[in-house]
Amino acid sequence: MSAPRPWNLVAELTYRCPLRCVYCSNPLDFARVSDALDAPAWCDVFEQAAGLGVVHVGLTGGEPSARRDLEEIVAGAARAELHAHLVTAGTPLSERRLEALAAAGLRSVQLSFQDVDRDASDRIAGRSFFEQKLDCARAVRRLGLPLTLNVVLHRHNLSRVREIIALARALDADRIELANVQLHGFALRNAEALLPSRAELDAASETVRDETLRSARPEILFVLPDWYRDRPKPCMGGLGARTLVIDPSGRVLPCHAAASLPGLEFWNVAHRSLREAWEDSPGMNAFRGEEWMQPPCRSCPERFRDQGGCRCQAFALTGDAAATDPACSLSPHHEVVLRAREGAERAHAVALRYRDATPG
Amino acid sequence: MSPEELESALRTLLAERYHDHHPFNLRMHEGRLSPEEIRTWVRNRYYYQTRIPIKDGIILAKAESPEFRREWLHRIRDHDGDGPGDGGLELWLSLAEAVGLDRSEVERLTLVLPGVRAACDDYVKLVESSDLLTSVAASLTEMSAGEIMRERLAAFERHYPWVGEEGLRYFRSRTVQAPRDAAHGLHFVLAHARSDEDQRRCIAALERKCEILWRLLDAIEAAHARPRLAPGARLRVDPAGTGDLVVMAERAIRLSPSGREIVELCDGTRSVEAIASLLRERHPDAEGIEDDVHEFVAGLRRVRALEAA
Repeated sequence: MSAPRPWNLVAELTYRCPLRCVYCSNPLDFARVSDALDAPAWCDVFEQAAGLGVVHVGLTGGEPSARRDLEEIVAGAARAELHAHLVTAGTPLSERRLEALAAAGLRSVQLSFQDVDRDASDRIAGRSFFEQKLDCARAVRRLGLPLTLNVVLHRHNLSRVREIIALARALDADRIELANVQLHGFALRNAEALLPSRAELDAASETVRDETLRSARPEILFVLPDWYRDRPKPCMGGLGARTLVIDPSGRVLPCHAAASLPGLEFWNVAHRSLREAWEDSPGMNAFRGEEWMQPPCRSCPERFRDQGGCRCQAFALTGDAAATDPACSLSPHHEVVLRAREGAERAHAVALRYRDATPG
Repeated sequence: MSPEELESALRTLLAERYHDHHPFNLRMHEGRLSPEEIRTWVRNRYYYQTRIPIKDGIILAKAESPEFRREWLHRIRDHDGDGPGDGGLELWLSLAEAVGLDRSEVERLTLVLPGVRAACDDYVKLVESSDLLTSVAASLTEMSAGEIMRERLAAFERHYPWVGEEGLRYFRSRTVQAPRDAAHGLHFVLAHARSDEDQRRCIAALERKCEILWRLLDAIEAAHARPRLAPGARLRVDPAGTGDLVVMAERAIRLSPSGREIVELCDGTRSVEAIASLLRERHPDAEGIEDDVHEFVAGLRRVRALEAA
């Protein structure tokens, strides 16, 4: 099938990160992926992406500011007329560095927070950076850059959703994404410790509704997790439909976790043009359209809306990347999700396992 | 709840949610509206006035009691008068003339803002779909109308001396009518809303009505905002197409040629009203261009591509 136009490029500049978040979405073998693209290589990729129709680039990782040549990379995005959006944990990112990035053409910042105080943040991040994040948020606003806060929600912080929104308001954020934890990557290893109960989720939804009515700022994004909705999410708006991801090694992927899917061949910008890697690579084409779908998706009237859900979740939970996402109540494997929900209803203390270089 | 408790719940709701707290109303009463803003308010509020006798006719049609209908009929007569040149609608048109509007333009309703039209139509729909009790409850914003009219009258005399005395007769008439109507409506609601469920529905209906009045002023206020691209949002040519885009954090919005024309005029110096009339001059034959401009700008403000300067 012919490839659609990509709008958005996710540039994973490095998997290095000073934090060790228990739900990190980087691949489990992140330590084996080196930073193969230097700044000129990224700049070249940006020019090629603009030629395909891309207008946005999310500079992410790992922690993108761990790269010393980030200024040069931002400047390249600006030259290619891409909206350069930095997705950061806020460290190591001084105000002077932010100024330099803004001067190079950075247009907006998304900053992650784990929780509203230091101890709770440290428990999730495995390191202590809470104050640096506050400084970073203030510096971003002083520079007049739009600021989005991103907070992953789970059973340890869901009851503090009101305070989390208050923090975003106090930091003058334009937008806050309350992202209910997705269970793949490192988060899957901590599923039992992270999944909230239905009651906790409902209470949080209620609070979000309240806070949304109270003030127009910040814009609040909150989506109930697919595990509780009986229908899967349309992952990435369809794999290979709108967004392309390039990992630190230069591989061109349809989503940040797609390299974990077995048997798929993705191409690298070191060896192919971006257009070839986007349009023709077997891995990129594997889940375009609907030919790949199995029953019950194949004949489901909802397949155009959700494209069968998340391929990575389907693989992680069923061993088959083409299976119906078990988040869907029509999936023959939906039982896995129901069991996890039941588990979340029981109060329990499970130790958290941090992101590390040697996953077991 | 006892009837006294219900009355107190209704009054508390009004104290918190009535549109006397709306920023636009506050500015009006503080004397901080420009003549253009006063004119927009008068022109648009006229649409609300025209919906009132229609709404009251619908309420009449729900009533079984001759006594209730006799009392309610006053309201229609107050608005429509006993003959041409008489009644509340006529008094409002004198206000329109006194603030410098063309009477027949106001009467034709052609320049009513889409947001105002939607809010007022929602009020009529609310009454259509409600029973008699909750329809009357929705009208109880009149309990606060006498007071707001007195304040408005004083504010106009003090701050807007350019609006002649002739224009203020509507406000004067309502300071008498509104308290009388409100007393009747309140008496009816307190006498008939006995079950918890009925009381809850009455409070909800009054809350909806407060929201409608609030939205009406939101739409008027938005018409005078001076939009500009939000920080981080940029207008650019689509690299892969023939059109234009607004690109911002997390979003890209495709613009039609007329969309681009509007966005280019959003430079933080012109109000949406001014942009609409400028485009009307450029495209004299384009049908509904004013509505399109207001709706387009409202849409881009909702997704924060535009902000008020």
